[in-house]
Amino acid sequence: MSHWIIAPVILPALVGAAIMLFMRNDLLLQRVFSLASTLALTAIAAALLWAATLHPPEVYFLGNWPAPFGIVLVLDRLSALMVMLTALLAVAIQLYAIGSDWDARGRHFHALFQFQLMGISGAFLTGDAFNLFVFFEVLLIASYGLMIHGGGKDRLRAGVQYVAFNLVGSSLFLFALATIYAVTGTLNIADLAVKAQTLPEGDDALFRVAAVMLMLVFAVKGALVPLQFWLPATYANAPGPVAALFAVMTKIGAYAAIRFGVMVIPPSTPATGTLIADLMMPAAIATLIIGAIGVLGASTLGRLAAFAAIASMGTAFIAISAFTPAATAAALYYIVHSTLAGAALFLIADLVADRRAHDRLDQALPPIQNSGLIAGLFMASAIATAGMPPLSGFFGKLLVMDALRDQAALVWSVILITSLVVILGFARAGSTLFWKAHAAAPLEGPRHEPQGLAFTATFGLLAGLVALTVFAGPVMAWMEATALSLHDPAAYIAANQLPQVK
Amino acid sequence: MELLVASALGLLTSAGVYLMLRQRTFPVIVGLTLLSYAVNVFIFTAGRLTVNLPPIIDKYANGYTDPLPQALVLTAIVISFGMTAVLVMMALGAYLEAGHDKVDMNDTDETPKGGAK
Amino acid sequence: MSLALIAALPFIGALLPGLMIRAGKNACAFVTGSVTALALLLLGLNAPAVLRGEVVQTRIDWLPSLGLNANFFLDGLGLLFAGLILGIGLLIIIYARFYLSKSDPMGQFYSYLLLFQGAMVGIVLSDNILLLLVFWELTSLSSFLLIGYWKHNPEGRQGARMALTVTGGGGLAMIAGMLILGNIVGSYDLTVILQNKELIQASDWYLPALILILLGAFTKSAQFPFHFWLPHAMAAPTPVSAYLHSATMVKAGLFLMARLWPVLAGTPEWFYIVATTGLITMVMAAKIALFKDDLKALLAFSTVSHLGLITMLLGFGTAEAATVAIFHIINHATFKAALFMSVGIIDHETHTRDLKRLGGLRTLMPITFAFATVAALSMAGIPPLNGFLSKELMLEEAYHTTWAGSAWLMPVLATIGAMFSVAYSFRFIAHAFLGPVRDDYPSKPHDPGFGLWAAPAFLALLVVIIGFMPMTSAAWLVNTAASATTGEPVQAYIKHWHGLGSPALWMSVAAVAAGLILLGAHKRLMALWNATPRPEAKAMFDGLIEPFAHLSRRLTDRLHDGALTRYIAIGILTIAATAYYGFSTGTHTPGTRALLDVHPVPALGWFALALATIAIVIFHRNRLLTLVLVGIIGLMISVGFAYFSAPDLALTQISVEVVTVILMLLALNFLPKQTPAESTDSRRALDMGVAGIAGLAIAGLSYALMTRDPAFAPIADYHIANSKPGGGGTNIVNVILVDFRGYDTFGEIIVLGIAAMVIYALTEALLRSGPANDRLVAWTPDLKRAGDRHPMMLVVATRLILPIALMVGVFIFLRGHNLPGGGFIAGLVVSIALVMQYMASGFAWAQIRQKVDYHALIACGVLIAAATGIGSWFGGLPFMTTGFDYFHIPPLEEFELATAAIFDLGVFLTVLGAVMLSLASLSRIALRAGETINVEPFDIDPSEGRSLDDLDPQEAR
Repeated sequence: MSHWIIAPVILPALVGAAIMLFMRNDLLLQRVFSLASTLALTAIAAALLWAATLHPPEVYFLGNWPAPFGIVLVLDRLSALMVMLTALLAVAIQLYAIGSDWDARGRHFHALFQFQLMGISGAFLTGDAFNLFVFFEVLLIASYGLMIHGGGKDRLRAGVQYVAFNLVGSSLFLFALATIYAVTGTLNIADLAVKAQTLPEGDDALFRVAAVMLMLVFAVKGALVPLQFWLPATYANAPGPVAALFAVMTKIGAYAAIRFGVMVIPPSTPATGTLIADLMMPAAIATLIIGAIGVLGASTLGRLAAFAAIASMGTAFIAISAFTPAATAAALYYIVHSTLAGAALFLIADLVADRRAHDRLDQALPPIQNSGLIAGLFMASAIATAGMPPLSGFFGKLLVMDALRDQAALVWSVILITSLVVILGFARAGSTLFWKAHAAAPLEGPRHEPQGLAFTATFGLLAGLVALTVFAGPVMAWMEATALSLHDPAAYIAANQLPQVK
Repeated sequence: MELLVASALGLLTSAGVYLMLRQRTFPVIVGLTLLSYAVNVFIFTAGRLTVNLPPIIDKYANGYTDPLPQALVLTAIVISFGMTAVLVMMALGAYLEAGHDKVDMNDTDETPKGGAK
Repeated sequence: MSLALIAALPFIGALLPGLMIRAGKNACAFVTGSVTALALLLLGLNAPAVLRGEVVQTRIDWLPSLGLNANFFLDGLGLLFAGLILGIGLLIIIYARFYLSKSDPMGQFYSYLLLFQGAMVGIVLSDNILLLLVFWELTSLSSFLLIGYWKHNPEGRQGARMALTVTGGGGLAMIAGMLILGNIVGSYDLTVILQNKELIQASDWYLPALILILLGAFTKSAQFPFHFWLPHAMAAPTPVSAYLHSATMVKAGLFLMARLWPVLAGTPEWFYIVATTGLITMVMAAKIALFKDDLKALLAFSTVSHLGLITMLLGFGTAEAATVAIFHIINHATFKAALFMSVGIIDHETHTRDLKRLGGLRTLMPITFAFATVAALSMAGIPPLNGFLSKELMLEEAYHTTWAGSAWLMPVLATIGAMFSVAYSFRFIAHAFLGPVRDDYPSKPHDPGFGLWAAPAFLALLVVIIGFMPMTSAAWLVNTAASATTGEPVQAYIKHWHGLGSPALWMSVAAVAAGLILLGAHKRLMALWNATPRPEAKAMFDGLIEPFAHLSRRLTDRLHDGALTRYIAIGILTIAATAYYGFSTGTHTPGTRALLDVHPVPALGWFALALATIAIVIFHRNRLLTLVLVGIIGLMISVGFAYFSAPDLALTQISVEVVTVILMLLALNFLPKQTPAESTDSRRALDMGVAGIAGLAIAGLSYALMTRDPAFAPIADYHIANSKPGGGGTNIVNVILVDFRGYDTFGEIIVLGIAAMVIYALTEALLRSGPANDRLVAWTPDLKRAGDRHPMMLVVATRLILPIALMVGVFIFLRGHNLPGGGFIAGLVVSIALVMQYMASGFAWAQIRQKVDYHALIACGVLIAAATGIGSWFGGLPFMTTGFDYFHIPPLEEFELATAAIFDLGVFLTVLGAVMLSLASLSRIALRAGETINVEPFDIDPSEGRSLDDLDPQEAR
C-alpha cells in the first residue's frame, strides 16, 4: 500500500502549520513555500491520477484498522480526477493571488489556502461518510476565513450569512449521518453501498429520509435551487481569487452527489429506488433557469459570474440526475469544464473590478486599462461559460443533451433557451464594459501592481479549456471508463476488503 | 424515557430554528448554538439510550452502550465550538463595520451590492 | 488533410494581422490576403476532381463518443460556396485596405475577418452536422465582433447584439434540429444523412427537426419574420456589409437548405414553409427597399428580398428550381457585393449615403458610375446581364407553381417582387448618379484610387461576362453545384431568348414597365409611405428584450435580496418537506425495542431543560439573560449525557459550555445588550410554524430511530471488542477518538486551529484604520461598570486555583486513554484555568506575565499530531497506526505508554492555543476600545486604597 494516497491531505496540513509557526510575518517566504507546496500537490495528484487510471481502486487503511471499522481513504478514478482538478486550479489561483497582491490584503492567506486544499483533498479521498463531514468542515472553515479575507462591511455581512447558512447545512449533514448509522450501523461508504442493497423492508422509510437529507446537504454545497440563496452574495463579495477557488467548492457537492447517488444508492436500490432522481431533476432544471435569468439580470459583474456558476451547477445536476453511465460521463466532463471556466470568469471579473474600482454593470464608466486584452479574455470565458463553440462548454452541453435524449423535449429546450439567455446576458455585460465606455479616458492606472502573474494565471485556466476541447475525444473516453466504474462499484467495494456479513 | 428525550430534542430544535429566523446576529448565533445542541443529542440517540453502561472496559461491566456515536458527538461538539467562535467574531466584526447587527442585507441602501471590491 | 487545412488556414492566419500591423497597413493587408489566397489555391487544387463528379473527403476523429468528428467533404455545392467565400473574401481584403481610415485598428479588423472566413469555409466543407454547428455559431460570434467593430457607435453595439441574439438563437434551435436529425439516422455525418431521405421523411420527428433546422436557416438568411436584424447590422463598416451581409454569411442559411435539400425537400411541409416564407420575404423586403433613402439600407432590404427569392426557389422542391436558385446565388453575390462596395466608395467620397443629398455623381465619379450602374441594372434584371438570366428562370419556375390550388398567386406575387426590385434598382442609379451636379455634398466627390475601385469593377466585369456567355462562364459551375444539391445529374440550359411564347418574358416586361412607373411616382408614394404607420422592427425587438432583461433583474434581485432569514426558512421547509416525502413513500415498521421507563430525576432534568428552552424563546431579546439560559440548557444536556452512560460527553459538553459562554460574553460586551422587537406578529407566527415543523420532524425521526434496532450489527461492536487488546485503552470512546477514528480527530483539531487563525486575521482586519476601528476608538461602555472590576477575592482565589486546575488538567489528560478525559477536555480545563486569571486581573495584565505564542502552540499541536501519524510510516504501517506497551520501573507500578498519548498531546496543545488565541484577539479589540491594562493585579489595593480608575488612562495605557 502506498502512502502517497494520503499525501494530498498531509502535505498542505504540514505546510500550513509550518507557515503558521515559522513564517507568519514574512509574506515572501509564505508565497514561496505555499506555491511550492501547491506545485508538489499537483505533481502528486498527477501521479495518483496515473495510478488510478492503470490500477483498480486502492484503499488506504488509516491506523491499520480493517474497513469498515476504521477510516479508509480510497483512490479511484473519480477521487484522483477531482484532486487533480483542485491542484491545477489551486496553482492558477495562487499565481493570481500573488500577482494581484490579494494575499497581502489580510493575514494568513497562504496558511488558510493550504488548509483549504487539505480539506478539499481530504473530502475527495475519504471512503468514510463521517470523515467526509469532518473534511467538509475543514474546507468550510478555511473558506470562511478566505471569504472574509481583507475584511470590509459588505464582505463581513455576506460572510456572516455564508457561515450561518452553511452551519445549517452542517447540522443537516450530522442529522443525516446519525440516521444512516442508526439504521445501517455503519459509516464506511463501500459498506454502505453493500448494506443499502440488502436493507430489510421495514427500514426503507427511515433510510430514505437519511438519503434525502444527505443529498440535500450536497445540494446546499452544489447550490441547487431552492438552496442556492447563499451563493450569489458570497461569491460576489469574496475576494476575486477566493471566488475563483470556490468554483471547485460547488463541484464538491456534485462530486458527493455522484459518489453517493450513483455508487451507494443508485436507482436500482430497493430501498430508495428513483427517489433521488425524481427530486433532483426538477431542482436541477430550476437551478439552470434561475442561474440563466440571474446572468441576464445581474446588477454587478461579480453577481453575473456567481449566477453563471449556479447555471453551470444546474446543467451538471441535470446530467447527474439521469443516473446513466453516459450521462455521468457527460456530467464529469462538464464539471471539469465549468470549474475552469467559472474560475477564469471570476479572475477576469476581478481584473475588471480592480481597474474600474467598482463592478456595477448599470454604469459603463470608467473604462478599463488594457481593455483589449481583458475584453478578449472576457469574451473567451463568456463563450466557454455560455456553452458556445468552439470551447469545451459547447461539447459539454452537447454531451449532456445527447445523454438525455429520452427527456429531449423538456431538457433540450431548457438547456438551449437558457443558453440564449446567458449569451444575451454576457453580450450586454461585455458591450457595456468594453465597448460603451470606449470613448472616455480610463482611471489613473490600475489600483495594484501591473499584474503579469495574474494574467498568466487567467491564460492558464483558458488554456486548460482549450486543451479540454482539443483532446475532448480521449478525455471523454477516460470519463466514460470512470462513469462505468461508478455505476458498477464492485471493484471499489472489493478494495475495501469488507468482512463477509453472515 | 425515549419520548422525553425525543420531545426535548424537538423543543431544542424548534427554539433554535425560531431564534435563527430572528433579524439580528446575536439571536441567530444563539439559535445555531441550540441547533447544534439538538444535533449532538440526536447523534447520541443514534446509539440508542442506555443507563449505567458506560463505554469503559471493565471486567464487572454487564455490557456497554454503543461508544461510536459518543465519539462522533465529541468530534461534532468540538467542530461546532470552532464554528460558533468564528461566527461570533464575524458577527462582532460585521457589527463594528456596519454600525448595526442586522443579518438581512435587503435594506434599500444595500441591494444591489457590488461597489468597491 | 488538405480540406481540413483549407478550413484551418484562416483561423491560423487570424493570428498574423495582429502581429503584422506593427509592420504597417500594407504588410498587414498583404499577409491577410495571402492567407486567403493560399486557401483559395488549395481549394483550386481540389476543384478538378470535384468537377469530374468525385467527392473529396477528409476524416479526423475528434469526439467519437458523441459522433462529433472533424470530417470534411468537398462536392460541387461546397466548391461553389467555398469559392465565393474565399474569392470575394480576397476582394474584400483588398478593398478594406483602402477603405478603413487611419484611426481604425486594421489588425483587429483583419483578424476578425479571417476568423469569420474560417468559420464560413468550415460550414460549407463540414461533413459532420455537429462540426457544422460549431462553425455555424462561430460565424455568429465573429460577425458580432465585426458588426460592433466601431465601438464608439451605439448603433453598431445594438446591431451587433441584435444580430447575435437572432442568429445565435436560431443556431441554438438548429442544434436541437440537428441532434434530432442525427438520432433519426443514427449518424451525424452528412454523407450518411444524405443517403436516408425515406428514413427521415417517414420519421415522426421529421417535422420538429425540419422546423428547428429552418429556424436556424431563416434567422441566418434574414427571412421573414427574422429579417429585421440585417438592416441594423449595416452599422458595420461597409466591407463587412459587403462580405457578410451580401455574399457570405446571409447565404449560410441558403447553403444549409441546399445542403439538406435532398433529404428535407419534396414534402408539402417543406414547400409551404420554405416557399411561402421566401415569397413573403421577397415581396415585402423589395417594397421596403424602394422607400429607403440610406443607400446601405436600400441594399440591405434588397438583399433580404433576393435571399427570399432564392429561398422560395429552394422551397419549390424541384430540381429545376433548385438549379435556378444556385445560379442566382452566384449572380446575386457578384452584383450585390459590387453594389455594396460602390456605396462604400460613395460614402467614402461624399461622406453621405443619403439619396436625398446625392445625385449628379455621374460626371464627378464616372468610373464608379460605370460599374455601379452595370451592377444595379443586373439587380434590376435588365438583359443581357446575369441578373436578368436568373430572374427569367425564376419567373418561369414561379409560373409553373400552384400555391394551395391557386395557379396565379405565385406568378403574380413573383412579378410584383420583380417590379419593386426594378424600381429600387433604377432609383439607386437615378437618384445617386443622374440628375444635376449639386454644390452641397458634405465633401467634394471624385473617383477614388484604383485600389478602392478595383474589386467592385472586377465583380461588375463578372456580371457582364456571365451575362453575355452564361453557358461557357457559369453553366459548368451551376451544373456541378446543382447536381450536388439535388443529388441527380443536372444540365442547365441558360439562354437569353426563350421565344415570345415564354410567360417569363411578359412577366418581366410587365415588371420593368410597372417598376419604371413606380419610380416616376416615387415622390407621391414616398409621402404615402411616410404617412402610413408601420411596425418598427427594432422597437419590437427591444420591446421584447428590454422588458425581459428588466424582469430578470427584478426577479433576480427580489429572490436574492440578502434576506438570510427567508433563505433559511425556505431551506428548512424544503428539507422537512422532501424528507417527509421520502418517509411517506417508503415502508416503515414501528420499532419493537424495549423502552426505558421514566425516573423522577431525569424527568426533573427534562422539565428544567424544557423550561429554559421556552424561556429563551420568550426572553431572547435580553441578551445577557439569554446567555445564562444557554448555560442552563448546556448544563442540563451534559447531565443528561452523564445519566445516559456518556461520561466523556458530559465532561466535554460542560467545559465547552463554559468557554463558549465566556467567549459570547466578551463579544456581547461590544454588541447591543438588547434585541429590538422588529418582527410583525404575522412574521412571528410564520417563524413559529417553521420552527414547529422542524422540531416535530426531528423529534419524530429520533423517536422512530430510538425505538428500533439497527438493521445490521453496528461496527461499534468491533471497537468494543478491540479497544483494549488493539488500542491499548479501556475508555472505548477515547480509543475511538485517538485510534480507530484518530483521523477524524486530526481533522477536528485542524478545524479548531483554523478557527483561531480566522479570528486572528479578522481582528487584524478590524483594527486597521477603517469604520470598525473608528467605532472602537470612539466606543463608550454602555453598561455601568463596577468600580471594582478585578476584586481582590477573585484574584487571590484564582491564584490558588491555578496550580490545582493545571494538575487536574494533566490528570485528566493522562487518564484519558483508560478513563473519561483526554487531550481535548484537558486542553479546555487548562484554558479555563488561565481564563480565570484573565477574568481576575484583566487579559492584558496576565498576557504580559506569560510568554507563550498561541500561533506557535496551535502549529506545534498540529505538527505533533501529524508527526505521530507519520511516525508509523517508518514502521511500514499506514498513517496513524498506534503502538503501545506496558513498562514497569520500580518503585512505580506498571504503567502504559501509547503513541496515541503523543497524538493526544497535539490535541491538547491545539485546543489550548486555539482558545487562548481567540480570547487574545478579543482582548486586543477591548484594548482598542479603551480598556486599560492594570498595573496592579487588582483595582483596589488595600495597602494604598487607590483605584486604577483614579489613574489617568493614558498613563495606564
